[in-house]
Amino acid sequence: MKVNYNWLKEYVGDVLPDAAEVDRLLTEHAFEIDGVETVEGEIVLDVDVLPNRSSDCLCHRGVARELATILDIELAHDPLRAQPALTETDKITVNIADTNACPRFTASLMTGIAVKASPDWLKTRLASIGQRSINNVVDATNYVMYAIGQPLHAYDADLFPQVDGTWQFGVRYGVAGEVVEILPEGKNTEPRQVTCVGTELLIVDDSSNTPIGLAGVKGGQFAGVHAGTKNIIIEAAHFHPTVTRKTARRLGIVIDASKRFENECSRELPPYAQFEIIKLIKQIAGGEYQGTLDVYAQEKNNPPVDVRLSKVNALLGLELSLEQVRDIIVRTGAAVSDRAAADVLTCIGPFERTDLLIEEDFVEEVGRLYGLSNIFAVTPDTSAVATVSTKQFYSEHIRQTLLAAGFSEVITSSFQKKDHIQLRNALASDKSYVRSSLAQNLHQVLDANFSHTDLLGIRSVQVFEIGTVFDKTADGVSEHISLAIGVCQKGNGYTPKDNAPLQVALDAVATSLNTPIDWSITQGVAEADLSAVIAVLPEPASYTAMVERTTATYTPVSPYPSVARDIALWVSVGTSSDEVIKALRAPAGDLCVRIDLFDTFEKNGQTSFAFRLVFQSQEKTLTDPEIDAVMTVVNAAVVELGWVVR
Amino acid sequence: MPPTPGHQHPLTQMIDEINHIFSAIGFTFAEGPEAETEHYNFDQLNVPKDHPSRDMQDTFWFKDADVSEPTVLRTHTSPVQARWMEAHGAPCKIIVPGKVFRNETTDATHEAQFYQLEGLHVDKGIHLGHLKGTLEYFFSHFFSGKTEVRFRPSFFPFVEPGVEVDMRLLAGDSKLAGKWIEVMGAGMVHPHVLQAGGVDPEEFSGYAFGMGIDRLGVMKYGVEDVRDNYSGDLRFVNQF
Repeated sequence: MKVNYNWLKEYVGDVLPDAAEVDRLLTEHAFEIDGVETVEGEIVLDVDVLPNRSSDCLCHRGVARELATILDIELAHDPLRAQPALTETDKITVNIADTNACPRFTASLMTGIAVKASPDWLKTRLASIGQRSINNVVDATNYVMYAIGQPLHAYDADLFPQVDGTWQFGVRYGVAGEVVEILPEGKNTEPRQVTCVGTELLIVDDSSNTPIGLAGVKGGQFAGVHAGTKNIIIEAAHFHPTVTRKTARRLGIVIDASKRFENECSRELPPYAQFEIIKLIKQIAGGEYQGTLDVYAQEKNNPPVDVRLSKVNALLGLELSLEQVRDIIVRTGAAVSDRAAADVLTCIGPFERTDLLIEEDFVEEVGRLYGLSNIFAVTPDTSAVATVSTKQFYSEHIRQTLLAAGFSEVITSSFQKKDHIQLRNALASDKSYVRSSLAQNLHQVLDANFSHTDLLGIRSVQVFEIGTVFDKTADGVSEHISLAIGVCQKGNGYTPKDNAPLQVALDAVATSLNTPIDWSITQGVAEADLSAVIAVLPEPASYTAMVERTTATYTPVSPYPSVARDIALWVSVGTSSDEVIKALRAPAGDLCVRIDLFDTFEKNGQTSFAFRLVFQSQEKTLTDPEIDAVMTVVNAAVVELGWVVR
Repeated sequence: MPPTPGHQHPLTQMIDEINHIFSAIGFTFAEGPEAETEHYNFDQLNVPKDHPSRDMQDTFWFKDADVSEPTVLRTHTSPVQARWMEAHGAPCKIIVPGKVFRNETTDATHEAQFYQLEGLHVDKGIHLGHLKGTLEYFFSHFFSGKTEVRFRPSFFPFVEPGVEVDMRLLAGDSKLAGKWIEVMGAGMVHPHVLQAGGVDPEEFSGYAFGMGIDRLGVMKYGVEDVRDNYSGDLRFVNQF
C-alpha cells in the first residue's frame, strides 16, 4: 500500500522521524517497505502490509498507529479516538435480507453541497498514492477510505427515488439470472453487465427492488454524483469478507474497496468514516448534515484473551518481566487487566484490529515490538542422530552409480500435454495432464540434447531421471517414484546400437543394489518403479559420506548455435594431446568454447591427433567466413609449431 | 577406459548436502505425496476455508471424479508436518525436501513446479532461539562460511509468531558476502496446527520453516532463471 509521509505526519505529529527512519522502524517491527519514492513532490513509502494486518493497516491512520506503537507515543491526532457524534435521521431506511452478510449499514444525508474540482491539497495527496481525482465528493469518499480503512460510496439523493420522503435501501442476494449493471473498469468506457448466480450481495433501491451495485465490490451508474448534484447520501457499511471475496474473484474484480472488506475491516468503523467524510465534505463542498441511519444488527467485539508471561517467554526464548509484557501490549491499544492468577494478563485488542484472537497473537505482538533482534541463537545439538531415509539413501546410491557410468541427471516437468489424469484447472493446454511415466520426457531430452553434443564435448546423450509419476487407480490417484535411464548415440533418434550401452547402465544399477529390477524398455529408454525396488531393500544403518560437491558458478547458455570444426595433425611421438590443446587455445581465440580430442593413432613413428573445435558467441550467430578465418589462423599456428596438418 | 563421469543435477546435489547437514543435528529426511489432499495441504495447516491460496488461480486441483476426496498438487511441503505429527507425535525433528506446484504464470523467477525445503522441530521448550541457531548452523555449512540470520515480522496461517528470515554471509569473496538476503519464511508452529496433528500445545512447542531450494540455487550457483532447472538441457546440467 502506498503511504504518503505527510499524511502520516498529520496523525503521528511532528515527532515522526524522517522517511528513512520510518522505513527502518516499520521494517524491523512491522512491515517490509518495498520502496520509498517521491511522487507529485510528496514522499511515498510502499508498505507491504501483512495479510493479518490488512484489517487495520490498509490506511494511513493504521500505519500511523503502528508507528506510534513502535515509538511508544500517543498519536497527535487520532480519528478513531472518540466515539463520533452523529445524529439520527428517519429519512433513510434499509431492508437487510441477511444480517450475517451485512452486519452493519450506515447512510448519511447531506444537503446543499456544491460539486466541483477538489482543492489542490486533496488532489496531490490522492495522486501521490496513485489515485485519480474525479470531483470533490468522490475524492472525499476515496480519501476517507485511505485515511481510516472504511470504504464509502456517495449517491446523488435527487436521482434516488423517494417514497413518502424516504430513501429506501435494500441489501439482498442477487437472484440467479438477474442482471446488474456496474461501472466500467480500467480502460473500458461501457458499463459492465453482470449476470448473477445467486451468491452475490447486492445493494438495491428497495422501493423498486432495482439493483444499484454489487455490495463491497462495485457500484453502478445509478444515482451517480455529477456536476449538478446538490444533495447526497453516503453509504458506509460492513459486508461479509467471504461473500465479498467470492463475488470479486468470480468477476475478476480487485479494487481497493473490496480488498478492505475481504480482509474484514472492523464493524466499528462505519460511524467514524461517516464523521470524517461529513467533516471533509463540509470543508470542500459545503452543505449541511441532516443525519445518519445506523443499523448494526450483528455486533462483533474482540474477545478477551488470557496471556501468560510463561507462554510469552517460552515461545520467544526471552526472559521478560510481566511489567515489560504489559507495557508492550498496552502500547498496541489493547485493554489490559491483571488476572487473579499470577503473571497472567487479560487482553482485548483495540476495535480496529480483528487479528488478535488467541494468546499466540499477543505473543507475536510482544516479540516484534520488543524486537526480534533480541532473539538469542541456541546452537543445535550435534549429538543427536537422525533416522536414515531409505529412499534418499538408495536414490543417491543409484545416482552415483549412474554418474560413474557416464550418465547425467535431469529433472523434467511433471505436466504432460496428454496422459491419463487431467487436472481440473491447468495453466496452459500443453500442461493439463500429470505424467504417468518419465519415459516420454526422457525421449524428448535425448532428442533435444543431440544438437548440443559438440558444445558438450560428448559423443552420445546419456541421461537419467528419478521422479514422481501418477497412476490412476480404482480408488483415485496414487503415485510412485520412478527411475528412467536413456541413451541416444545418433542424432536421428533411437537405433538398436543404443541398447548395449543402456544395458550396461541397467546392469550397473541392479548390481549395485544387489537386486533384480523389472525394467520396461522402449527405444533406448528404460524405466522401473523405484518405490517398488526400494521397498524390498535392506534399511541402511547410516548414510555414506557425502561426495565432493560442485562449486561451479553457472554461465547462462548462449541462445546462438555453435559451429564445430575438426583439425587433424601429425606430431612427434611423445607429444601429449594436452600440450597440443594448450597450444591451440590462443590462435583459436575466445569464440572457441571447447577443444576435445576425438581420435588418435600412431603410424611411421608419428602420432596423429584429431580435435574437434567448437565455436559459439554469446552475442550472435557465427558465420562460416568468420570461422574460416579463425581456422586459417589456427592452421598457420600449427605449422609454426612444427606440426603437420593432415 | 572408464567413461567420463556424468553430472548430477544441482537441485539433487543441494538436497543431498542439505540432508547431510541436517542429519548431523538429528533431523530426519521425511517425505509425503505430491498429489496431496485438501485436508493436509490446507485444513490441517490452519489455512481458512476461504483463503485466497486455495483459489483456482493459485492451486492445481484434481478432478472430483478422479479422486476420493478433494486433492491438489501440493502447493508447499508443509502438509508433511501435519502428516508426520499425526503419525509420530512429539517430539519430532524433520526436514522435508520436495517438489511443489503453483498455478501461476511462469517467468525467470516463477515456475509451475519447483523444490521446497520444509523443517519442523517440536519438543518441550522449543523457542525462536532454537530456530535461529539451527538456521545459522545450516547456512554456515551450506554456504561454507560464517553466516548470521535475522528475523522480521511476517505472517503465514500455520505459524504464530511468524517471521521472515534474512541471512548474511559474513566473510568471503562471493558476491553474496556482506548483504542481507531474504531466504525464507518461518515461525512457531500455530497451536491449531499442533492440535490438528494430535500434539498438545500446552506440553510442546515447535518451529517450522520453509524455503525454496531453487532460490538457494540462485545464491549458491548463480542459476537465476528457475526454468533452467527443468529444461532437461545438458548444457545446463553438465556445468555442475
